[in-house]
Amino acid sequence: MKSLSIRRRRNLGILLLLSIVVIVIDRLLSVSLYPVAFVSGWLLFSLVALLAAYNIRKKLPFLPLGSSSTWLQFHIYGGLLSGVVFVVHIAGRVPNGGFEVVLSALFLGVFFSGVIGLLLSRWIPPRLTTRARDSQEVLFERIPIFVRRIRDEVEAMVLECGSQAESTVVPAFYASRLKSFFERPRNFWSHVLHLQRPRLKLLREIQSQEGYLSEVEKSVMGDMVERVKQKDDLDYQYALQALLKYWLFVHIPLTSGLLVFVVFHLVLVYSFAGGIR
Amino acid sequence: MNRSDVAWVASCPLARVLSFCVDLPTCPPVHLFIPPADETFALMDSPQKGLKRPQRWDIPFCDDMDDADVERVLAAEPFSKLDGSKFRGKVTLEGIIKNDARLMRCQSGQIIVRNGDWGNSAFFILSGAVRVELGTVSDAGVSSEPIDVGRRDVQRKSLFQVVAQLWNRHPEPEYRGGGDAAAGVASVSQGSGEETQVYLADVNAVLDKHLTARMEAPHFFGEIAALGRTPRTATVFAEGEVELLEVRWQGLRDVMKRDEALKQQIDQAFRERALLSFLRSNRLFEHLDDEQLSTICDTAIFETFGEYDSAQPFKDMAQQGVDSGFEGEPLVAREGGYPDGLILIRSGLARLSHKHHHGHRTVGYLSPGHTYGFDEIRASAGQSSHAELKNSLRAIGFLSVVVIPTHLVEELLLTKPSAVPVPAAKPGPADPRDHADHTDHTDHASDAFLEFLVDERFVQGTAAMVIDLDRCTRCDDCVRACAATHDNNPRFIRHGPVHDHFMIATACMHCSDPVCMIDCPTGAIHSDQLEGQVVINEATCIGCSSCANKCPYNAIRMVEVRDERGGFLREASSKPLVQATKCDLCVDQLGGPSCQSACPHDALFRVDLNQFETIESLVS
Repeated sequence: MKSLSIRRRRNLGILLLLSIVVIVIDRLLSVSLYPVAFVSGWLLFSLVALLAAYNIRKKLPFLPLGSSSTWLQFHIYGGLLSGVVFVVHIAGRVPNGGFEVVLSALFLGVFFSGVIGLLLSRWIPPRLTTRARDSQEVLFERIPIFVRRIRDEVEAMVLECGSQAESTVVPAFYASRLKSFFERPRNFWSHVLHLQRPRLKLLREIQSQEGYLSEVEKSVMGDMVERVKQKDDLDYQYALQALLKYWLFVHIPLTSGLLVFVVFHLVLVYSFAGGIR
Repeated sequence: MNRSDVAWVASCPLARVLSFCVDLPTCPPVHLFIPPADETFALMDSPQKGLKRPQRWDIPFCDDMDDADVERVLAAEPFSKLDGSKFRGKVTLEGIIKNDARLMRCQSGQIIVRNGDWGNSAFFILSGAVRVELGTVSDAGVSSEPIDVGRRDVQRKSLFQVVAQLWNRHPEPEYRGGGDAAAGVASVSQGSGEETQVYLADVNAVLDKHLTARMEAPHFFGEIAALGRTPRTATVFAEGEVELLEVRWQGLRDVMKRDEALKQQIDQAFRERALLSFLRSNRLFEHLDDEQLSTICDTAIFETFGEYDSAQPFKDMAQQGVDSGFEGEPLVAREGGYPDGLILIRSGLARLSHKHHHGHRTVGYLSPGHTYGFDEIRASAGQSSHAELKNSLRAIGFLSVVVIPTHLVEELLLTKPSAVPVPAAKPGPADPRDHADHTDHTDHASDAFLEFLVDERFVQGTAAMVIDLDRCTRCDDCVRACAATHDNNPRFIRHGPVHDHFMIATACMHCSDPVCMIDCPTGAIHSDQLEGQVVINEATCIGCSSCANKCPYNAIRMVEVRDERGGFLREASSKPLVQATKCDLCVDQLGGPSCQSACPHDALFRVDLNQFETIESLVS
């Protein structure tokens, strides 16, 4: 862990240094009336192309192209540097014109979705691990299987309870309150925001039924509470693991869009830049 | 993405290109292995039926052994003395010689086995003589520096072959070419004799420089590595023309099972030579001359704990895990007892524990090369009262130790204190006892992790897959990379026991003592000759499942193999043909284990848990 913190400090130092270099060069070129937007534009394009190349590295794990970890470090700090270069490139002004607005929006979308993804990838894993200590670590693809298994168990319990006990409290409560809970992942945002309220509310509702239950039904309800907790733990794992996976659905399509618009941008710039260069 | 989508992507070239260009992060790799749940998946269409289930000797050790060769070998010692009537049923003596052995004719100076290489066979000298290198002669005396010529590089894929994996991957899972698993991918016999031979340029110069021993017919050598699942302990080269019979260890084991006299002979030689070479390789005994070493050999006691030829006790213990405490771990030496000898760990692992209130705390473990009791013997030397043993020593699974009596240690090792280099015999790993001042030991996190690893027997692993869950984003890039480098078939499961924030994933750990090899009838699962990784030869795997059943960590999976259309290959009785698969540590890839290099977050490590210092660095 010590080496990771050293690496972080080193990379931040390099990022800071490069940012200063970019800004200084931009200022110097501006003073000499050099068309600095071309320099910063090509630098930005190169950075974006290299950052996008990480996806190709991921697709070719058998090629000796360096570790993915090194690529990610470049991706993170290169991405942050691209933000600085972007500001330099647009000279700090707000883009005008439809094409420029879309292009800028795409870049900012990619940039900020990347930053959010980075924060999520640092923030969520320890939370998953901590919660998994109380329940268990599960593979994302297996969660629906476990959920179905729990639902089947609960339904069997309810059916058996209905046939054994003379009252219909448990089946009725299951049908009105628990059936939807066990059907699919629930409380996505509550889990993401680490709110325990829906879980406690449901448990309290179950507890409130106790006064109407026979001994047999109490026993069944006790088992059901355990299943509710298990299902809630699975929902927690589902919500956080899904978030970790699905943020890429924003980042990568935006990147693809950005690359297309960047190419158009280059064509347009060189089409109308005859007098400048 | 459901299964039909996956199949479509897998089968349609355009879709494969699209799926490459457009990243679909949640799509599992084409054949991402999900541990089987309750569902039963529909069988693929048009399964091939009526194939012959591969048998042990379908692919012999060498194709060139004919009946005349077999007869000639059976007429030579020690085979002529074997009682053929003891070999009944399918495994006949003739069958063993024909299928598990090969004849080798070596020229003068040809290196037959090399110190440090991994081997799975023993050699019987039929005619001529060989020289066994025992050490290097110099002005300073005899050292154990081995002959090191002509060592081959590890065979890895070329850059083109690596790139070609991009389009050569088969869309169907567990595809085996040719429609016959037994004649599968690399249908060559193991001992085809086409290896590059290495010769010593000047045999006389080697004889001048190195201390060697001469061996001639009907002696044998190579049994230490073959039976001990360890690297070769000496280099052997031909002196003049020599004819050898190389027997792979499965055959040797069957012969030993049926002939007690040969078993005893091999066992005896195994013990004597193992001890001598073991002592020679140990820094503690470096300063001793031949006479002193032979004194130790004569006096030393071999002790073994657990069953060497069976993984069952080990597996049982691993499965019992933490709950069992130290039950099933035979006590080798008790804390507080008198150190009646210096204990050297020869093979296996031993737990060091220290009494802590009402229980015992694990403070470390000893792996081959480590010593136990030296400090106490040294502290007692010349004193009227003896020093008590600081820790208890218990065997984890099979353990083989050499005990050198205290009086001999005092006489040979402590009379010249300056000659004794370090208390821990093996260089490299830190001696766990150095960390075991147990009364004020307060690093509970480290203690608990150590206890977990020892209780679950993960300390056997030389390349265990450890995942730091606090960093792992569950992105499955490791699984995808593994699949990409193994023809779209992932070879591990990103799931396993968790301690604190470390998960030991279900991947082959390449154990220091790979018990999975014990019952393999064909030698398909073996240690790579150069680097020692445990790998499976698909061409000779007959799908008997013995390795998968033996593996205490369930790291070997039996898979139904398929033809090019995805149909299961079936034998005449309609049972699907299966083969063993596991992590091969990307032994043939250019970039090392792809799982580790594919992890973007530095969360996945392949670590040698055999080394105590690895655990310390992990925890710290």
